[in-house]
Amino acid sequence: MLCDVKEKTRGGCINPIFTCQPCGAQFVSIGVKDCIGIVHGGQGCVMFVRLLISQHFKESFEIASSSVHEEGAVFGAVKRVEEAVDVLLMRYPDVKVIPIISTCSTEIIGDDIDGVVNKLNAGLLKEKYPGREVHLIPIHTPSFVGSMVSGYDVAVRDFVTYFAKKTEPDGKLNLITGWVNPGDVTALKHLLAEMRIDATVLFEIENFDSPLMPYGNFVSHGDTTVEDLSGTANAIGTIALNRYEGGKAALYLEKEFGVPAILGPTPIGIRNTDTFLQNLMTLTGKPIPESLVRERGIAMDAITDVTHMFLADKKVAIYGNPDLAIGIAEFCLDLEMKPVLLLLGDDNPNYRNDPRVKALQENVDFPMEIITNADLWELEDRIRNQGLELDMIFGHSKGRYSAIENTIPMVRVGFPTYDRAGLYRHPVVGYAGAMWLVEQMANTLFTDMEYKKNKEWILNVW
Amino acid sequence: MPYHEFECSKCIPERKKHAVIKGPGEDLTSALPQGYLSTIPGSISERGCAYCGAKHVIGTPMKDVIHLSHGPIGCTYDTWQTKRYISDNDNFQIKNTFATDMKEKHIIFGAEKLLKQTIIEAFKAFPAIKRMSIYQTCASALIGDDINAIAAEVMEEMPEVDIFVCNSPGFAGPSQSGGHHKINIAWLNQKVGTVEPKITSPYVINYVGEYNIQGDQHVMMDYFKRMGIQVLSTFTGNGSYDELRGMHRAHLNVLECARSAEYICNELKKRYGIPRLDIDAFGFTTLAEGLRKIGMFFGIEDRAQAIIDEETARWKPELDWYKERLRGKKVCLWPGGSKLWHWANVVHEEFGVDVVSVYTKFGHQGDMEKGISRCQEGALAIDDPNELEGLEAMDMLKPDIIFTGKRPGEVAKKVRVPYLNAHAYHNGPWKGWEGWVRFARDIYNGIYSPIHQLALLDISKDEIPTDKGFETQRMLSDRDLSEDITASTVLHQYSGKYDCLAELSGKTYPRFETDLAHAV
Repeated sequence: MLCDVKEKTRGGCINPIFTCQPCGAQFVSIGVKDCIGIVHGGQGCVMFVRLLISQHFKESFEIASSSVHEEGAVFGAVKRVEEAVDVLLMRYPDVKVIPIISTCSTEIIGDDIDGVVNKLNAGLLKEKYPGREVHLIPIHTPSFVGSMVSGYDVAVRDFVTYFAKKTEPDGKLNLITGWVNPGDVTALKHLLAEMRIDATVLFEIENFDSPLMPYGNFVSHGDTTVEDLSGTANAIGTIALNRYEGGKAALYLEKEFGVPAILGPTPIGIRNTDTFLQNLMTLTGKPIPESLVRERGIAMDAITDVTHMFLADKKVAIYGNPDLAIGIAEFCLDLEMKPVLLLLGDDNPNYRNDPRVKALQENVDFPMEIITNADLWELEDRIRNQGLELDMIFGHSKGRYSAIENTIPMVRVGFPTYDRAGLYRHPVVGYAGAMWLVEQMANTLFTDMEYKKNKEWILNVW
Repeated sequence: MPYHEFECSKCIPERKKHAVIKGPGEDLTSALPQGYLSTIPGSISERGCAYCGAKHVIGTPMKDVIHLSHGPIGCTYDTWQTKRYISDNDNFQIKNTFATDMKEKHIIFGAEKLLKQTIIEAFKAFPAIKRMSIYQTCASALIGDDINAIAAEVMEEMPEVDIFVCNSPGFAGPSQSGGHHKINIAWLNQKVGTVEPKITSPYVINYVGEYNIQGDQHVMMDYFKRMGIQVLSTFTGNGSYDELRGMHRAHLNVLECARSAEYICNELKKRYGIPRLDIDAFGFTTLAEGLRKIGMFFGIEDRAQAIIDEETARWKPELDWYKERLRGKKVCLWPGGSKLWHWANVVHEEFGVDVVSVYTKFGHQGDMEKGISRCQEGALAIDDPNELEGLEAMDMLKPDIIFTGKRPGEVAKKVRVPYLNAHAYHNGPWKGWEGWVRFARDIYNGIYSPIHQLALLDISKDEIPTDKGFETQRMLSDRDLSEDITASTVLHQYSGKYDCLAELSGKTYPRFETDLAHAV
């Protein structure tokens, strides 16, 4: 087999690809309307995640901390959660959903966040806030398990588990997007609208890209409501586009309420988008309209313009969230490119058995490495010390120096992409995303050819 | 000086004593906001943790060091690439970060073995780097790993390396400030006095509490070199590990950010008798005073004066160009700690702006004392502000610009207040004479941005002016200025380059021959 799946052999981490679980849960929490999460731990666990999210979106999001100090670390800090819930409810009258997100410190000291939720439900909420709709949701995301990706998966599951309630079938479809950008949600909703499918999109984050208005204060927030979440039990089916970011929730709905679940594929590239539309047809019985045939055609036309001329045989490395990285690798193969290195940045044992990874192993006809529990040194070391030659890198901004130092063109994808303007507005999914990605690749290569004076004249007649 | 009660915080009475308004003729004896107290959970405070105060603020600016955090991955990832402390060794410390990436099994069985393995792997990956700082986190503190013992073991096995250990878990104290203190003392106890530096001048200083944001330290080194002063070490911006081990041989500690680094200065005084001199390198008059004081200490005031005269002559016309256009603009000065008093008075004196509010996220009462005494009457001073109080204050004060952090800057944007990054700067460096003009230029460009003006127009209600295809900053800023100013041939706009540091590298300095003979 030319494609190896290996785990990083070093023990520690040099230049990480992911942050830890609580970040994923926090990212989910801001997707819910009238929701402010409380992260139970040190203040840095919130302050830096808020900074990271604001670096990416150039917006500020509201997340609170229980501000565990020394005393709490020694004697237990559940009282800080009680106080935090009360302070939040007093000062934010619209808040009704409060996930309590644990961290490494509070998991190690064994703070019982489930117990404190029960206590608050029976005490504070009844006595001080009677009649007010308040949902406290304990979410366990110890930082020493998984990564921000699993934190996202766990939090989606916990939100859905908490709210989902079977009443009457509503004929709607659940679409769990995974960790995406507002531009992706817009693109997905467009596909659903063209198919005339009524769907609940989890999470509805288009407003993360919020306006600067001449009046008022438009705080960026998600728009998924309590009703959206409770209705997920009544859907005709669930599609979780990203297996590792929402898959758990889809399987829960299937097991608990018999809502059929389809995991993946991440609709990156033409082929995966086709499959997504096929899955939509299967679940809803709705046909694919001519408008999407045409939209696909426009993308096909644009992609054909650059593929075999410019992209074919280019060697690329990809790192980032697993579904995104695998999706891009698949698309690259359709584009005749060679994804020679795929870095999956946590120790999830399921990557090895992922059908997409298996398919790569069975069919790739050039040497390819897939590294799990990877860090960015796996990339840097291969370039610097092992002679790996790359034409392009796909990944998020934290790995930008591998590209800069080694003068390798880089296409920014995923989260976070703080060193480029406005990327969150552009989709990488659907036909629109496929076209955008290919044009980004081409233009990035072209710019690099010009800077390096590497046959830049070839563009004269293209 | 009455306490100021925020509407949004009426329900949390503990907040009452954390804000005051400086009334006419009042002094600090009537009221001073409380500071550095336990944070109120759920208030959406802006504070960070003691780990970041140690590692991120003070540790990582050291340039020739592998910075390794012992804990789960998040602490490392989150404090990586969120600062602008550059270095002259190609920014090694910005580009690379290291972690043990502790997992569940390590929490249960301990992670000392993993730590040792990670240390060795890190040195192997970067063979040119022989120095390391290890930072404890909440997780490694709680499971009780003995980092010091592992570091000692590795140093014994690898005699060419040296390792510093900082035990400052995130929960140690109400904010990042606890971490500043811990790393100051840890460095002093473990490392100062372990290297004997070569003394090449009779005038030897440590430059302390300077983090080389966008090259501030490079700018200041230029002045020190022009004065013939030997800077043994910088704590810690662009600082070298081994140079910082020789801090004990300085004749004087020149201190900038007293909030984060006065501890080490005070201890160096106690243990080695090195006096501490506080300076402000922000602002023409304040910097001049600082250099003059250093000159006086060593008896080389003339050298300081020569720099002051040259730099002032070069840059004053540019500073004043901006001052004329910034006069009376309202500023919220909302930094983390020390800049509240570094800037409170000098931005008013030299930029002409009015400071309508000061706040501090992690400062102590001492910082508020200095800040309030230096800021203008009527200013609102807030300790450990939170999201809603910040919005309420902006609504009440209607500032023209706000100097704060990146994320709170996004909050300000949404209520149409332009912001400048007080921690990392917009287009710095902001220290030094040229730097101070760059700050003025950034303020000017923020306030007089035609785009900012367009943000205020409600096209559904306001009359849309249809007579213009564009406006320039000058059309906005000069509208009500007298012709004396607008047509002045003396005053002019900033004339420096985008990267004003480039010409400093490779610059030659006068050799003070007599100094060499007197070096001790």
